[in-house]
Amino acid sequence: MANMPRMQSFSESLKLLWQRLGSMSLAIILLMVLAIASVIGTVLLQNQSQMDYLQQFGPLWYWVFRSLGLFDMYHTWWFLTLLGFLMVSLSSCLWRNVPKMMKDMRTRKGTINERSLGRLELQKKWLLASETSIESLQEKFRGRLYGWEFKQVEQNGVHYVRADKGRYHKLGYISVHAAMLIILIGGWMSVEFGFRGNMAVPEGGKDHTIEFLKGTDTATLDMPFEVRCNSFVIDFFPTGAPKEFRSNLTIIDDGKEVLTSDIIVNDPLYYKGVYIYQASFGDGGSDITFKLFGMDGSGDIGQAKTSVYKSWTDEKTGVTIKVNDFKPYNVENMAGPGEIVNFKDLGPSVIYEIRGPGLKPAKIKAYMDPFIDINGNNMGSWLQISLTGDAADYQSVGLGLDLSNPKEWALFHAFMKRLSSMDITKDKMTETRHAFKLAMTDVFGDERPENFQDMAVRTMEAMQTLPKMPWPFIPMLDDYTHVYYTGLQLAKDPGMNVVWVGSAILTIGLCIMFYMPHRKLWLVVRSKDDGITVEFAGLTNRNQMAFKQNFNELFTQLDEDFRPKT
Amino acid sequence: MISSTAEASFYSTMNVGRIALIRFYAYIGLALGISAMAMYGSSGYDEDAFLYQILSMQGLLWGGTGALLGSGLAVILATMKPAMLQGRVAGNTVPWVDGMLLMVLLAVIAAQFEPAREFITYEDQSNLLAPSIVMLMNMLLLFSAVTYIAYLFAPTEFMGRLATGTAYLGIYAAGVALLLRWHESYLFDMEIGHAPVSNLYEVFIFMFIITAAVYLSFERRYQARAMGAFVMSIVAAGVFFGIWLDSVGQGLIKPLVPALQSYWMKIHVPMNFVGYGSFAVACGAGMAYLVRYRLEANGGTAKVLAVFPSLEQLDQLAYKAVAVGFPAFTLATILGAAWAAEAWGGYWSWDPKETWALIVWLVYGAYLHARVSHGWHGKALAWWAVAGFLVTVFCFLGVNMYLSGLHSYGRLT
Repeated sequence: MANMPRMQSFSESLKLLWQRLGSMSLAIILLMVLAIASVIGTVLLQNQSQMDYLQQFGPLWYWVFRSLGLFDMYHTWWFLTLLGFLMVSLSSCLWRNVPKMMKDMRTRKGTINERSLGRLELQKKWLLASETSIESLQEKFRGRLYGWEFKQVEQNGVHYVRADKGRYHKLGYISVHAAMLIILIGGWMSVEFGFRGNMAVPEGGKDHTIEFLKGTDTATLDMPFEVRCNSFVIDFFPTGAPKEFRSNLTIIDDGKEVLTSDIIVNDPLYYKGVYIYQASFGDGGSDITFKLFGMDGSGDIGQAKTSVYKSWTDEKTGVTIKVNDFKPYNVENMAGPGEIVNFKDLGPSVIYEIRGPGLKPAKIKAYMDPFIDINGNNMGSWLQISLTGDAADYQSVGLGLDLSNPKEWALFHAFMKRLSSMDITKDKMTETRHAFKLAMTDVFGDERPENFQDMAVRTMEAMQTLPKMPWPFIPMLDDYTHVYYTGLQLAKDPGMNVVWVGSAILTIGLCIMFYMPHRKLWLVVRSKDDGITVEFAGLTNRNQMAFKQNFNELFTQLDEDFRPKT
Repeated sequence: MISSTAEASFYSTMNVGRIALIRFYAYIGLALGISAMAMYGSSGYDEDAFLYQILSMQGLLWGGTGALLGSGLAVILATMKPAMLQGRVAGNTVPWVDGMLLMVLLAVIAAQFEPAREFITYEDQSNLLAPSIVMLMNMLLLFSAVTYIAYLFAPTEFMGRLATGTAYLGIYAAGVALLLRWHESYLFDMEIGHAPVSNLYEVFIFMFIITAAVYLSFERRYQARAMGAFVMSIVAAGVFFGIWLDSVGQGLIKPLVPALQSYWMKIHVPMNFVGYGSFAVACGAGMAYLVRYRLEANGGTAKVLAVFPSLEQLDQLAYKAVAVGFPAFTLATILGAAWAAEAWGGYWSWDPKETWALIVWLVYGAYLHARVSHGWHGKALAWWAVAGFLVTVFCFLGVNMYLSGLHSYGRLT
């Protein structure tokens, strides 16, 4: 300011700053700035992989956002500074107001001067006969008020009764603001002295390290004990939706098994100040056996043994299968749109990526069982293929044959062999049928299997589809040993109890603040020559409307009490 | 002024003095008895069948004992300290709890008309009773909203009573429908059963109840019937949204995901909607304020003005609604934090839903500060109440629709 009268001393300006910090305007601005800043982090997904961000925003904006810390914004220096400001502001506000409020609560004057009385919005007046007893008036006034505190004073011949209710209303303010401070301190303690991280333990395995995000990097921390996962089980509703995720865990401390317990979501385990929560689950590296159906026409079936998260390479062709995931069940709604839901388990599936020299890489979800349609018809084995690797691009491909039945594969090749030795240019239908009959005898002898007609349909179908497959062999799921990993979250939070204490104080404080207004009533009685004047006035700091109603009702009652019965 | 002195009907005598006090304590005793059963009862708290635990012999014994103890205590207290009979809290509260009991009774009666168990399948829920009652509720609430608006232009006592009456009936229909839904969820399978506060469709119905009830309590006490047009319009908008939700299959009863299988859901979610519902009423009061302000600015001759509460009253009603909603919302957020601490391992994760709850809390916190300081009243705060509700709507709707996070089970699919 240009016209500042004099240089303020350092301590004075510090004092001024301190006062400004506790001002209501700053509080409002701070609350709104915090609210607006918080929005950013909800719109921008937090703590995703840096590659995703780079792809999403391009190099320039990625750099801008990153330097502002927006990818983990609730822990950036500027957001924490805002919270710090809030704490300072709260402290300043309490510092300035608490002594004043305490003093107000302790001392209360029974008297009220004429000017203040005149200024009150709610006031009524009686003029009574001079022989009326002042004591009885005051007695009647008190009798009408339940749960009020009274203070009776006589000064200069004027009789005052002051009634108070909710005298500790101001305690509400104090506790609400103090509670916010406590909660923020508790939050700081949680961040400073606590930890929270994830641990993925395969069934039968054990671990003692948690991983968590620090800024945008992953950090690890060793626990003072080991956790072994004995089993992980999923229970289902009759509808097929998951009902319960349950891990059976054993805590191993110093090489000794100290505790074995089940945990489910919403019901954690507690050991040595650390809570262990059921957070997620996934495949814990199941053993997978593939049957490799060769496409060279020989009818050979190869085999590959690997496990989830591992790769297997065929030495001859250089084709690599990388197993990404395995699911022991696939519950899908088989009903079309508008139809009544019909959940069905399609059986186990495995997801793998297949690559090789001269091959387009593809992501494939292969089902162990053939596809059975709603009417119970076996539609043959099937795959879901995504050429981009994106799950949204999966396309269902029926192979025709039911590959879970090796005889059917043999039948297909026998048929192809028979067919190639015939001249089908003359009468295609008859010759094909004949070839199929011979192939049936080749594979099954004289005993025809049940549903061989269906088999014939599938074999014909396979003649169209199988040659289109680009790979030297089709890997199908043959056998598996399923293992889950259980995703645990381990957390220690020394600030938590502080936060709960703060929360309790906050709730109580809010109730006092909103529901226990400080209401004051005065009954001022003056003796004059021509009679007694009685003034009745009221004041409240909250909920004026209800108080006004009460005041008027009270006035009607007092009016009946005060007027001599006629 | 309230005209309670004029007509001393049977009903109004029920809600004052000794009878009100005894009933008040009996209800508190009942609630404590049920809670005690959940905590210390022989079969404890059964997540899968709590409704039937309450309605069983066991629930009757625990709740009844609590109620008896409560009323006994009330009799003793009232004899020792007759001045207690003049307290207002009991008289103001008991009619609402009476209404809740009546709702339960109606639901029990309605439950007798459910189709037989062998005709009920999870796959086809179309023959259940609750959807029809929801339809009835939709009609009642929409009718009420229209009548409240009509009341602005034809402010006859009949119109007013019709609007208020249908709003009450709407609340009853909503409550009965929700309770029936709770019961119906068990009819499929005991495992599927859960409290009807588990998805957007159910909480919307719950929100209608709260919003209308908070508004009607104001109407009863402060003769603010013109405000109803605004509050019930918000409810009506919600009704249309609910119809849409039902049309896309969100109205079906589905089993609970593991994360929601906790008694916390029964506490946290309803408490949140007490907050949301009150904020809706505050928004209604704010809108009424702005309309009246505009009308007055235009000369103030409009006939509508006669039925509007004064600007001062509307301002205070908005504040009162926030005063109901803010502590409830704070408590709900704290309860949510407690649940998060138990289920996810941390009371605060900056999850979008949590963050938006904080934003809502900050916005109304700032509203309260602005009121106390600056003497900000009137227009600015009326706008604030309206804007605050928009933020609230985003918090409970927008977050589920547009943002992902730990609350994604409330998501629209």
